[in-house]
Amino acid sequence: MSSKFLLANKYKKVGWFILIPSTILGVILAYNEFDLDWLWARVVAIANDGKDGNYVYLSFRNTNITNTVVGSFFIIGALLVSFSKEKNEDEFIAEIRLSSLLWAVCVSYILLLMAFLLVYGTPFLDVMVYNMFTILIIFIVRFNYILYKNSNPVTDEK
Amino acid sequence: MKNNIKVERAIKNLTQEELANKVSVSRQTINAMEANKYVPSTVLALKIAKVFTKSVEEIFFLEKGD
Repeated sequence: MSSKFLLANKYKKVGWFILIPSTILGVILAYNEFDLDWLWARVVAIANDGKDGNYVYLSFRNTNITNTVVGSFFIIGALLVSFSKEKNEDEFIAEIRLSSLLWAVCVSYILLLMAFLLVYGTPFLDVMVYNMFTILIIFIVRFNYILYKNSNPVTDEK
Repeated sequence: MKNNIKVERAIKNLTQEELANKVSVSRQTINAMEANKYVPSTVLALKIAKVFTKSVEEIFFLEKGD
Protein backbone atom coordinates (compact mmCIF):
# COMPACT_ATOMS: atom_id res chain seq x y z
CA MET A 1 0.00 0.00 0.00
CA SER A 2 1.37 3.38 -0.92
CA SER A 3 2.39 5.35 2.14
CA LYS A 4 1.44 8.67 0.55
CA PHE A 5 -1.97 8.36 2.19
CA LEU A 6 -0.41 8.03 5.62
CA LEU A 7 0.31 10.82 8.08
CA ALA A 8 3.66 11.38 9.79
CA ASN A 9 4.46 9.20 12.80
CA LYS A 10 4.01 12.06 15.31
CA TYR A 11 0.25 12.10 14.68
CA LYS A 12 -0.03 8.60 16.11
CA LYS A 13 0.67 9.91 19.60
CA VAL A 14 -1.81 12.77 19.13
CA GLY A 15 -4.33 10.15 18.00
CA TRP A 16 -3.91 8.03 21.15
CA PHE A 17 -4.28 11.14 23.32
CA ILE A 18 -7.64 11.83 21.69
CA LEU A 19 -8.77 8.22 21.28
CA ILE A 20 -8.26 6.95 24.83
CA PRO A 21 -10.30 9.61 26.69
CA SER A 22 -13.03 9.58 24.06
CA THR A 23 -13.25 5.78 24.24
CA ILE A 24 -13.69 5.96 28.02
CA LEU A 25 -16.34 8.67 27.68
CA GLY A 26 -17.98 6.75 24.85
CA VAL A 27 -18.29 3.59 26.95
CA ILE A 28 -19.79 5.59 29.82
CA LEU A 29 -22.20 7.24 27.40
CA ALA A 30 -23.21 3.88 25.96
CA TYR A 31 -24.11 2.49 29.39
CA ASN A 32 -25.74 5.50 30.93
CA GLU A 33 -26.94 8.19 28.63
CA PHE A 34 -26.08 11.63 29.99
CA ASP A 35 -25.80 15.15 28.66
CA LEU A 36 -23.24 17.62 29.94
CA ASP A 37 -25.18 20.76 30.89
CA TRP A 38 -22.59 23.14 29.50
CA LEU A 39 -22.40 21.40 26.14
CA TRP A 40 -25.27 23.06 24.32
CA ALA A 41 -24.81 24.61 20.91
CA ARG A 42 -26.65 25.98 17.94
CA VAL A 43 -25.89 23.57 15.12
CA VAL A 44 -26.60 23.29 11.43
CA ALA A 45 -28.73 20.26 10.74
CA ILE A 46 -28.79 18.91 7.19
CA ALA A 47 -31.65 16.69 8.30
CA ASN A 48 -33.66 16.82 11.51
CA ASP A 49 -37.02 15.82 12.98
CA GLY A 50 -39.85 18.17 12.13
CA LYS A 51 -43.47 18.17 13.22
CA ASP A 52 -45.78 15.22 12.56
CA GLY A 53 -42.87 12.85 11.91
CA ASN A 54 -41.75 14.69 8.79
CA TYR A 55 -38.12 15.49 8.11
CA VAL A 56 -36.83 19.05 8.02
CA TYR A 57 -33.86 19.69 5.77
CA LEU A 58 -31.22 22.37 6.31
CA SER A 59 -32.21 24.09 9.52
CA PHE A 60 -30.65 25.41 12.70
CA ARG A 61 -31.40 23.92 16.06
CA ASN A 62 -30.26 24.25 19.66
CA THR A 63 -29.21 20.93 21.00
CA ASN A 64 -26.95 19.21 23.50
CA ILE A 65 -23.82 18.07 21.68
CA THR A 66 -22.31 15.65 24.22
CA ASN A 67 -22.80 12.66 21.89
CA THR A 68 -21.65 14.65 18.88
CA VAL A 69 -18.41 15.74 20.55
CA VAL A 70 -17.51 12.35 22.01
CA GLY A 71 -18.31 10.53 18.75
CA SER A 72 -16.38 13.03 16.64
CA PHE A 73 -13.32 12.90 18.85
CA PHE A 74 -13.43 9.12 18.81
CA ILE A 75 -13.48 9.04 15.01
CA ILE A 76 -10.72 11.66 14.68
CA GLY A 77 -8.54 9.87 17.25
CA ALA A 78 -9.11 6.46 15.68
CA LEU A 79 -8.33 7.80 12.18
CA LEU A 80 -5.09 9.40 13.40
CA VAL A 81 -4.02 6.19 15.16
CA SER A 82 -4.95 4.03 12.16
CA PHE A 83 -3.42 6.11 9.42
CA SER A 84 -0.23 7.49 10.88
CA LYS A 85 3.01 5.85 9.85
CA GLU A 86 4.85 3.56 12.22
CA LYS A 87 8.29 4.79 13.31
CA ASN A 88 9.77 2.54 10.68
CA GLU A 89 7.08 2.06 8.08
CA ASP A 90 8.37 -0.59 5.67
CA GLU A 91 7.03 -3.19 3.25
CA PHE A 92 6.12 -5.75 5.91
CA ILE A 93 4.22 -3.17 7.97
CA ALA A 94 2.45 -2.00 4.80
CA GLU A 95 1.40 -5.61 4.23
CA ILE A 96 -0.04 -6.12 7.71
CA ARG A 97 -1.75 -2.73 7.43
CA LEU A 98 -3.47 -3.86 4.26
CA SER A 99 -4.36 -7.32 5.54
CA SER A 100 -5.70 -5.82 8.79
CA LEU A 101 -7.96 -3.51 6.80
CA LEU A 102 -9.32 -6.49 4.88
CA TRP A 103 -9.78 -8.35 8.12
CA ALA A 104 -11.53 -5.44 9.80
CA VAL A 105 -14.03 -4.97 6.96
CA CYS A 106 -14.80 -8.71 6.85
CA VAL A 107 -15.18 -9.19 10.61
CA SER A 108 -17.21 -6.01 10.95
CA TYR A 109 -19.71 -7.08 8.30
CA ILE A 110 -19.94 -10.62 9.64
CA LEU A 111 -20.85 -9.13 13.03
CA LEU A 112 -23.36 -6.83 11.34
CA LEU A 113 -24.89 -9.73 9.43
CA MET A 114 -25.26 -11.72 12.63
CA ALA A 115 -26.84 -8.71 14.30
CA PHE A 116 -29.23 -8.28 11.36
CA LEU A 117 -30.37 -11.86 11.77
CA LEU A 118 -30.45 -12.01 15.54
CA VAL A 119 -31.30 -8.55 16.90
CA TYR A 120 -34.73 -6.96 16.47
CA GLY A 121 -36.57 -3.92 17.74
CA THR A 122 -35.01 -1.06 19.67
CA PRO A 123 -31.78 -2.96 20.53
CA PHE A 124 -31.03 -2.85 16.80
CA LEU A 125 -30.46 0.89 17.19
CA ASP A 126 -27.56 0.06 19.51
CA VAL A 127 -26.18 -2.31 16.88
CA MET A 128 -26.21 0.55 14.37
CA VAL A 129 -24.38 2.80 16.81
CA TYR A 130 -21.66 0.23 17.52
CA ASN A 131 -21.32 -0.64 13.87
CA MET A 132 -20.27 2.93 13.10
CA PHE A 133 -17.05 2.27 14.96
CA THR A 134 -16.30 -1.43 14.57
CA ILE A 135 -14.18 -1.23 11.40
CA LEU A 136 -11.72 1.22 12.96
CA ILE A 137 -11.65 -0.58 16.31
CA ILE A 138 -11.06 -4.01 14.80
CA PHE A 139 -8.40 -2.58 12.47
CA ILE A 140 -6.48 -0.93 15.32
CA VAL A 141 -6.62 -4.04 17.52
CA ARG A 142 -5.63 -6.48 14.78
CA PHE A 143 -2.84 -4.32 13.29
CA ASN A 144 -1.21 -3.62 16.64
CA TYR A 145 -1.56 -7.24 17.76
CA ILE A 146 0.27 -8.56 14.68
CA LEU A 147 2.93 -5.87 15.05
CA TYR A 148 3.37 -6.78 18.71
CA LYS A 149 3.50 -10.49 17.97
CA ASN A 150 6.31 -9.97 15.50
CA SER A 151 8.39 -7.82 17.78
CA ASN A 152 9.23 -10.70 20.11
CA PRO A 153 12.00 -12.82 18.61
CA VAL A 154 10.83 -16.40 18.03
CA THR A 155 13.89 -17.79 19.77
CA ASP A 156 16.81 -16.01 21.30
CA GLU A 157 18.75 -13.35 19.44
CA LYS A 158 22.02 -14.14 17.62
CA MET B 1 9.94 -19.72 0.41
CA LYS B 2 12.55 -20.48 3.01
CA ASN B 3 15.66 -18.59 4.02
CA ASN B 4 18.70 -18.92 6.20
CA ILE B 5 18.89 -15.30 7.32
CA LYS B 6 19.22 -16.42 10.91
CA VAL B 7 22.26 -18.58 10.17
CA GLU B 8 23.90 -15.88 8.07
CA ARG B 9 23.20 -13.38 10.79
CA ALA B 10 24.91 -15.60 13.34
CA ILE B 11 27.96 -15.96 11.08
CA LYS B 12 28.20 -12.18 10.70
CA ASN B 13 27.39 -11.78 14.40
CA LEU B 14 24.55 -9.33 13.77
CA THR B 15 21.42 -8.86 15.87
CA GLN B 16 18.02 -8.55 14.21
CA GLU B 17 18.12 -4.86 15.00
CA GLU B 18 21.53 -4.36 13.39
CA LEU B 19 20.54 -6.20 10.23
CA ALA B 20 17.26 -4.26 10.14
CA ASN B 21 19.16 -0.97 10.29
CA LYS B 22 21.57 -2.05 7.55
CA VAL B 23 18.72 -2.72 5.12
CA SER B 24 16.52 0.08 6.55
CA VAL B 25 13.48 -1.93 7.60
CA SER B 26 11.88 -2.51 11.00
CA ARG B 27 13.07 -5.27 13.32
CA GLN B 28 9.64 -6.87 12.99
CA THR B 29 10.30 -7.45 9.30
CA ILE B 30 13.53 -9.38 9.95
CA ASN B 31 11.74 -11.31 12.70
CA ALA B 32 8.82 -12.21 10.42
CA MET B 33 11.15 -13.34 7.62
CA GLU B 34 13.15 -15.57 9.96
CA ALA B 35 9.90 -17.13 11.15
CA ASN B 36 8.97 -17.72 7.48
CA LYS B 37 5.88 -15.57 7.95
CA TYR B 38 6.86 -12.96 5.41
CA VAL B 39 8.27 -13.20 1.89
CA PRO B 40 10.35 -10.07 1.24
CA SER B 41 10.21 -8.00 -1.92
CA THR B 42 12.92 -8.56 -4.50
CA VAL B 43 14.53 -5.26 -3.47
CA LEU B 44 14.76 -6.31 0.17
CA ALA B 45 16.03 -9.80 -0.74
CA LEU B 46 18.80 -8.24 -2.86
CA LYS B 47 19.71 -5.82 -0.06
CA ILE B 48 19.96 -8.64 2.47
CA ALA B 49 22.12 -10.70 0.12
CA LYS B 50 24.39 -7.69 -0.29
CA VAL B 51 24.86 -7.36 3.49
CA PHE B 52 25.90 -11.02 3.67
CA THR B 53 27.97 -10.67 0.47
CA LYS B 54 26.30 -13.69 -1.04
CA SER B 55 23.96 -14.28 -3.94
CA VAL B 56 20.22 -14.22 -3.32
CA GLU B 57 19.94 -17.97 -4.08
CA GLU B 58 22.34 -18.77 -1.27
CA ILE B 59 20.00 -17.13 1.25
CA PHE B 60 16.50 -17.67 -0.12
CA PHE B 61 15.17 -21.01 -1.38
CA LEU B 62 11.97 -22.06 -3.07
CA GLU B 63 9.86 -24.62 -1.26
CA LYS B 64 7.53 -27.29 -2.58
CA GLY B 65 4.30 -25.58 -3.53
CA ASP B 66 5.92 -22.24 -4.41
